[in-house]
Amino acid sequence: MSWIPRLRSLLKRNRLDHDLDDELRSHLEMRIADNRAAGMSPEDARIDAQKRFGNSTLFKEDTRAVDTVGWLDECARDFRFALALGIGANTAIFSVVDAILLRPLPYPEPDRLVRIWESSAKHDSPRNVVNPINFLDWRDHSQSFESLAAISGLMTNLSSQGQPIAVQGMQVSPEFFSVLRVAPFLGRTFTSAEAIPGQDRSIILSYELWQRQFGRDRAVVGQKIDVDGRPSEVVGIMPKGFSFPKFRAEVWTPLPLTRSEEWKGGRFLTVVARLKQGVSLSQAQQDMFRVANFTAQARPDNNKNWSANVFPMLEDVTEGVRRPLWVLLASVGFLLLIACANVANLLLMRGTGRLRELAVRSALGAARSRIVRQLFVESLLLSLAGMAAGLFFAHLGLRSLLALVPQNAPLPRSEPIAIDARVLLFTFFAALFTAVVFGLVPALRLSRVDLQNALKQGTLRGGVGGHQSLRRCFVVAEVALALVLSVGAGLMLRSFARLISVDPGFSPEQLLTMHIWTSPARYQDDLKRSQYLDRILAEIRSTPGVQAAGSTHFLPLTEKISGSCFSPADQPAPSPAESPSAQFLIISSGYFQTMRSALLSGRDFDDRARFNSQPVAIVNHAFVQRFYPGQNVLGKQLRVCWTIEKPVEIVGVAADARQAQLQDVPEPTIFLSNSQAPMYFATLLVRAAGDLGQIARSAEAAVHRVDPDQAVSDIQTMETVFSDSVSSPRFQAVLLLVFAGLAVALAMIGVYGIVSYSVSQRTNEIGIRVALGARSADVVRLVLPEALALAAIALLLGLAGSLALSRAFASLLFEVTPTDPATLVSVCFLVLAVSALAAVLPARRATHIDPMVALRYE
Amino acid sequence: MRKSKNDLLQGTLTLLVLKTLARVPMHGYRITLHIQMVSKDILRVEEGSLYPALHRMEQDGSVSAEWGMSENNRRARYYRMSAKGRKQLAEEEKNWERLTQAVAQVLEFA
Repeated sequence: MSWIPRLRSLLKRNRLDHDLDDELRSHLEMRIADNRAAGMSPEDARIDAQKRFGNSTLFKEDTRAVDTVGWLDECARDFRFALALGIGANTAIFSVVDAILLRPLPYPEPDRLVRIWESSAKHDSPRNVVNPINFLDWRDHSQSFESLAAISGLMTNLSSQGQPIAVQGMQVSPEFFSVLRVAPFLGRTFTSAEAIPGQDRSIILSYELWQRQFGRDRAVVGQKIDVDGRPSEVVGIMPKGFSFPKFRAEVWTPLPLTRSEEWKGGRFLTVVARLKQGVSLSQAQQDMFRVANFTAQARPDNNKNWSANVFPMLEDVTEGVRRPLWVLLASVGFLLLIACANVANLLLMRGTGRLRELAVRSALGAARSRIVRQLFVESLLLSLAGMAAGLFFAHLGLRSLLALVPQNAPLPRSEPIAIDARVLLFTFFAALFTAVVFGLVPALRLSRVDLQNALKQGTLRGGVGGHQSLRRCFVVAEVALALVLSVGAGLMLRSFARLISVDPGFSPEQLLTMHIWTSPARYQDDLKRSQYLDRILAEIRSTPGVQAAGSTHFLPLTEKISGSCFSPADQPAPSPAESPSAQFLIISSGYFQTMRSALLSGRDFDDRARFNSQPVAIVNHAFVQRFYPGQNVLGKQLRVCWTIEKPVEIVGVAADARQAQLQDVPEPTIFLSNSQAPMYFATLLVRAAGDLGQIARSAEAAVHRVDPDQAVSDIQTMETVFSDSVSSPRFQAVLLLVFAGLAVALAMIGVYGIVSYSVSQRTNEIGIRVALGARSADVVRLVLPEALALAAIALLLGLAGSLALSRAFASLLFEVTPTDPATLVSVCFLVLAVSALAAVLPARRATHIDPMVALRYE
Repeated sequence: MRKSKNDLLQGTLTLLVLKTLARVPMHGYRITLHIQMVSKDILRVEEGSLYPALHRMEQDGSVSAEWGMSENNRRARYYRMSAKGRKQLAEEEKNWERLTQAVAQVLEFA
């Protein structure tokens, strides 16, 4: 059996065409030359040569039909296309799913790593950051863990060769490295002595930073470098690639923790721990309930109604992306199924054409199992060829996929996403699976046909009727799956459109943002620090082109919020655990003007808000609505737990704006002035006309005029911030849209195939009808009902499927229900229209049949 | 009608082509000329049958093909008979003999 060259020629049709063209041309030329030599005129010589060939295009078709079975060749594109696409898309998405969700974390015995959070039913937060004193209690009283470590993210200013650079750092308790069981590449990790305040002047560098800034100089270990304005000793270098999920840290510094008063209130730590050998997750959880109960009793002011939750670390860090990724993988899985159905259909058709060959084999004594095996091996070869092409698609696809992810997104995993051995294995199994699905069913089906009968009939069309119903089932499945995918894509698209049309409450155009982190060593003094930012802002405001400037401690749409309890100053103070709480932002004067957010009443912070003057606050509209509905809040006094001993006076009410994410409804927020509650870090906001790149350079220069050692980082436009903040729903919407488009295209090919086939079966009848005067509309009417009936069944099945899957989808959608009627109806119409189109094409072609040809057809 | 002369029996074309290629590799046009010449113009191979036949034989492995230069310096695709082709030729010749004998017997009998 010579199907290997046949398969090869299938894959190389272009080459073959090209060769054949050349060969025929050379033949023509030689004939013309001989004719001329025999005395013909050039014109006659050419005409004679061509006449001997007849129609050269038709002839070429004929010759090629020998190389590949004729109709198969027609469908060859589908074979390659459908399989390669299905396998390629699956490989690309799987490589992402594998790298993020499946692969164990890159630490020894990762299954024993957990993260522990505080939890509060009242605040509806199962994963709340942890209070330092609570952490110390956990460490001392829990029994399930080998060790626990606390982490706090921190920007760090390094001064290297006089050039200030800001790098992302992590403050970690000394157990951090032993919890992860990662040894340093050079030097050592922190000792417990370094967790004592005042003895924490040590720093560990990442391999990458060491390479970039210190040229891999081993002598750096043991040296002192300037960290946040204080000399610190470099004690170690971490191994290449070491990282901790969600923190893009390049330096680690000790986190000194004590049970001092100053730590009593806030919650800001991330806690990671390693389970003792043999301790189960639920045992650890029980243990932590017990410990949390203890802390709640020991310090009810802070901990009443608070508990603790233990999550496996891998599950915890992938929390937000798990469902979207599984949905994407399921979607490409559907796409692969559609491709399989498509190819199975083509194989059935092909098999029908080969019934005679099979009959002969069977007559010559081939057992049924051998024929099945032969057909299956052919399918396997096809799917392996599909796999090869698919890998190419996957490579391209993955590259464009990763390009959709914003550069500075804190990915849950930092290991590279690539097509590696694991992914290749998956791809191989996917190919095997496709071969089984699309190859085995037709093979079994074909081998069951009465081959003797087929042989006797002596016609290639023998015994095809039985497969038509199977093929219809495949097409119905294809269209139904395509519908499910399209509904998903439609919902995502609508949800995304809703999302980006949300009014954020500020205007992101022509707005520049940049981050600064103030050295604690140099600006330890609150007064000095409070004036520092004002000086920087004044310097920036005087820069040409700048219209307004301000600052906030957490930039909107970067998923960062701060919360604090508060209470009305005219009532006795309740304990912090019982006080109401609100978000708070520390801003400079001019923030609202710079953001173009409206002040609804009262005034902005101004010169009167100085460090030692009467503390003031601005609240947002949501705050008034929640806590003082219908009242005038101006002049009211609040005790805000976060900062101040003295109550603050409300001087203004600002319009609501989105803070953590675009989809989050504005929460009650208290704005405090940085002049009165100075922070160590701020995001500067600069509104300017003209080229923002130019403005960014001048603004940075302005900062350096105030302090040449002040590093400026994360310079980006607010439009970029805005766009990055919706990158994940955009990613999902774009991908689902692509998958749905491909699915619909494949389903269309399926419908087209089945209608073409029934048209060819009815060529005789159609010919007679045309001869008797039927017009093309009549013929279309003859063929269309079959396709529409199939589409209708598929529509019902697809809708049922969509409804069944709607629950899995709901949490991914914004302001759109998974049963959104508008989406369902328009997708149904789309699929119906596409099916009808796919059916009309062959039907219309049928009307061009020459009645005489049709009648002679058999 | 001239057509009757060309209406070769199914399968005969393969035999003729193989026999033609048995001595020396040739390109398609040369094959048509050769058959026409040797049969003294009685057999005329039509291009429309020749190339499909050649490609089928190439698929089957009875001939192989490669590009070369023709006598008057044109690029042409040369067909060469393979070992398999040689076996097939022997087989086909035997078949042909049996067939012509059978036909002759029938004719004599009638």
